[in-house]
Amino acid sequence: MTRRSIWIALLLVWSLAPMLWQLVSSFTTADALVNEQLSFWNRWTLNNYRDLLSTDPPFWRYLFNSSLVASLTTLLTLVLAIPAAYGLAKLPIRWRGSLRTAVVGAALFPYVLLFLALLELARTFSLGNNLIAISIPYSALSMPLALLLLTAAFEALPNDLEDAAKLEGLSLWQRLRWVLLPLIAPASASTAILVFLFAWNEYPVALTWLSRSDLLTLPVAMARIAGSSTYSVPYGTYAAATVLGAIPLLVLVLVFQRQIVSGLTNGAIKG
Amino acid sequence: MTVLLAVPALLLIAVVFGWPMLRYAWLSFHADSVLTGLEPVANGGANWIRLAVDQRFWLDAGQTARFALISVGMELLLALAIALLLHQSWRGRGAVRALTLLPWALPTTMMALGWRWIFNTPYGPIEVLARTIGLDSLDLLSTPSITWLVTVFADVWKTTPFITLILLAGLQSIPDDLYSAFRLEGGTPLQALRRVTLPLLLPYILLSLLFRLAQAFGVFDLVQVLTGGGPAGSTESIALYAYLNGMRFLDFGYSATVMLAGFLLLTALILAGTLVLKTFGVLRPLDR
Amino acid sequence: MTLELRAISKSFGERPVLKQLDLNVADGECVALLGASGCGKSTALRLIAGLDQPDQGSIRINDAEMVDVPAERRRVGMVFQSYALFPHLNVWENLELGLRIRGGTTGTRDARISRVLEVLQLSEYAQQRPSQLSGGQRQRVALARALLRDPLVYLLDEPMSNLDAQLREDLRPQLRRLMIGGDQPVVYVTHDQQEAMALADRIAVMRNGSIEQIGTPRELYLQPASTYVAQFIGRPQMNLLPAQNGVTIGIRPDDLRLDSDGWPCTILSREWFGANQMLLVRCDRGDLRMVCSGETTIAAEPQISWSSDCEHRFDGISGRRLPSA
Repeated sequence: MTRRSIWIALLLVWSLAPMLWQLVSSFTTADALVNEQLSFWNRWTLNNYRDLLSTDPPFWRYLFNSSLVASLTTLLTLVLAIPAAYGLAKLPIRWRGSLRTAVVGAALFPYVLLFLALLELARTFSLGNNLIAISIPYSALSMPLALLLLTAAFEALPNDLEDAAKLEGLSLWQRLRWVLLPLIAPASASTAILVFLFAWNEYPVALTWLSRSDLLTLPVAMARIAGSSTYSVPYGTYAAATVLGAIPLLVLVLVFQRQIVSGLTNGAIKG
Repeated sequence: MTVLLAVPALLLIAVVFGWPMLRYAWLSFHADSVLTGLEPVANGGANWIRLAVDQRFWLDAGQTARFALISVGMELLLALAIALLLHQSWRGRGAVRALTLLPWALPTTMMALGWRWIFNTPYGPIEVLARTIGLDSLDLLSTPSITWLVTVFADVWKTTPFITLILLAGLQSIPDDLYSAFRLEGGTPLQALRRVTLPLLLPYILLSLLFRLAQAFGVFDLVQVLTGGGPAGSTESIALYAYLNGMRFLDFGYSATVMLAGFLLLTALILAGTLVLKTFGVLRPLDR
Repeated sequence: MTLELRAISKSFGERPVLKQLDLNVADGECVALLGASGCGKSTALRLIAGLDQPDQGSIRINDAEMVDVPAERRRVGMVFQSYALFPHLNVWENLELGLRIRGGTTGTRDARISRVLEVLQLSEYAQQRPSQLSGGQRQRVALARALLRDPLVYLLDEPMSNLDAQLREDLRPQLRRLMIGGDQPVVYVTHDQQEAMALADRIAVMRNGSIEQIGTPRELYLQPASTYVAQFIGRPQMNLLPAQNGVTIGIRPDDLRLDSDGWPCTILSREWFGANQMLLVRCDRGDLRMVCSGETTIAAEPQISWSSDCEHRFDGISGRRLPSA
């Protein structure tokens, strides 16, 4: 084995071992979890999954809620950010620098500090326990990143293309639809997947805005299960929940990894 | 003017980011808790005075800063090493890069209980491993001076891939020609790392540093679920303290004060850091 | 169809780019805007197209004032220097996009596109993307798109500057046949005076935002209004002798001849091109460029002269042409 292979192996172990341990635990009986001396063949069970899927509300509900919120957020963000980025890309150079700094500042902001005021807003406008309403703050929180990526994409387009489209008689909407949007598709895809992941992973706002158990998003549901009882947390069941909850995310990341990487890369370069 | 198209998006950002700050500023000068019937009543600077002598707050602030600095420091070093590894070309690199990205994909709270189990005394795999080697019980999650390191570990595990990607982008932006020229000048690979790679990587390192420091300062998800702020409040962060004040003690006035103070501390930290870096001339490569 | 620019002024920030520009292009006429970079020629073109707005002045196409008409509705056919072909569409789709948006049935659309492709010999490339085409092919697609616009005015912004010399020579006749033959006025921006001479009915030499001189190629060549125009038109460049008595004399290199009674000079350099040759000679009047037949033998120390009829006389300070004595 070359020295590099050892490092690669270590890297993989470091990255994957904790998740693999969850996988192993999810199939382990409650007894085996507390008794490492138990023989190998007596350790395995599907009970954890069975218990998980028969909870009330059923586990898949949380996955559904998270998917719904994430999809709505992504849609809302893109609908607002794409025209905005188009407009920002046309700003005279004088304004661009300061605006970009402001947007980058918002992107760096630890949004957890906003939760109290946002909660107040939720209470005032009855936005709590509403999966559609929560996409509004989510959209706002992911907007800075979306603006950075999409504005850069529009700025990278040659000016001639839009000029030629104008002379062909295309209105603004037509230019966006037939020429500009197709050309920024890679950046849009990267933005979409990054916003989607953000919405899925978000915790403080979801924790305070959602309390009805059938409306919880995945992170909140998992935290609730974890905090439900300190002494007899059913780790096996929890591990099963982790596995099931993780699968859609892992699949998403693996499928869209190129978009994720290019999105973060471009974001870094422009930032 | 096409820039008007940007108004909805910018307005949304301004409201969601700006309004809370203004609200906190206002609330921090009011008492708003169960004692006032959950209505804000002006109380001058009472909240701020209380904050100034609040031992728990300053303890948390120190712990949060310590967590952020150590965590981000380790992430940077680790990410740099991983990025250098992933920058070379070898078979299967793409697949490995994808796999190393996975920790970042999972919500913090999801893995938090997992970590609680992994480090569980006496049943978790780490404990079992320690016993097999012959060590005493490690008690990682119930020893106040050690537990915060577990949170650091969990944070490093999750966010290193993110920094790795940013540093990789930076590595890819360095033209190969520079390394060739350096070699012809007689430089060794290690010297190249120090004299070519690191200076050119600086903007990316600083970007990651800034971003992660701000995020880490607001650590909430991890400590709430993994340790609940314990043992004995040793892992409690500013954000968690603010949350407790607001949601459990229902003292909104003070909670707002804590959050605003946290924000101000973070800004001070960043400004101080920038000043330090400037004094040591570290930022000079950035002057274009 | 006519094009008229009146008192057009445009500044970018503090910098004036066009100053009180007047231009009339008649029915079917081709006017070349010729000048160095920064003289305002491309800006003038963009103003006609509607891609930018003038600060002052009026633009009339067929006597209709265009200042408030957006570019989308001006019916202008423009060929960009970069061709501006849509990279995500193939050739057919590039040509079809505008037609489809502007309406009409699929049948007539397809027929028109096919015809234009045939005329420009692009039929076999219809399904290819611009990135798969050569420079010359892309230029033809850009031409096709402008033709399909059925415009009131053709605007060409240095359309051949990205092509090599051979390709330019091949494409010039095609360009003339397709666009310059018709009713529409054509405005052709270029920095290449040879191209302007070959294609234009009239050439407007531009400098610092205004037209230095406008006239037929012949007029500009034989009667340049200033030293600037005189040196811009004609290759190799006209010789300008240093001013004497407030008068600068200009002589074209092809007007110099070998003369046994002429001024003695030494040869500084000699370039032989086959049909002709170019010499750089030094005499006591200065360094002069000379062109003569390639077959002429040149003595080691030749003597040259020129007829005073061939002299161009300019004011020594302003550079403006002096009326013939």
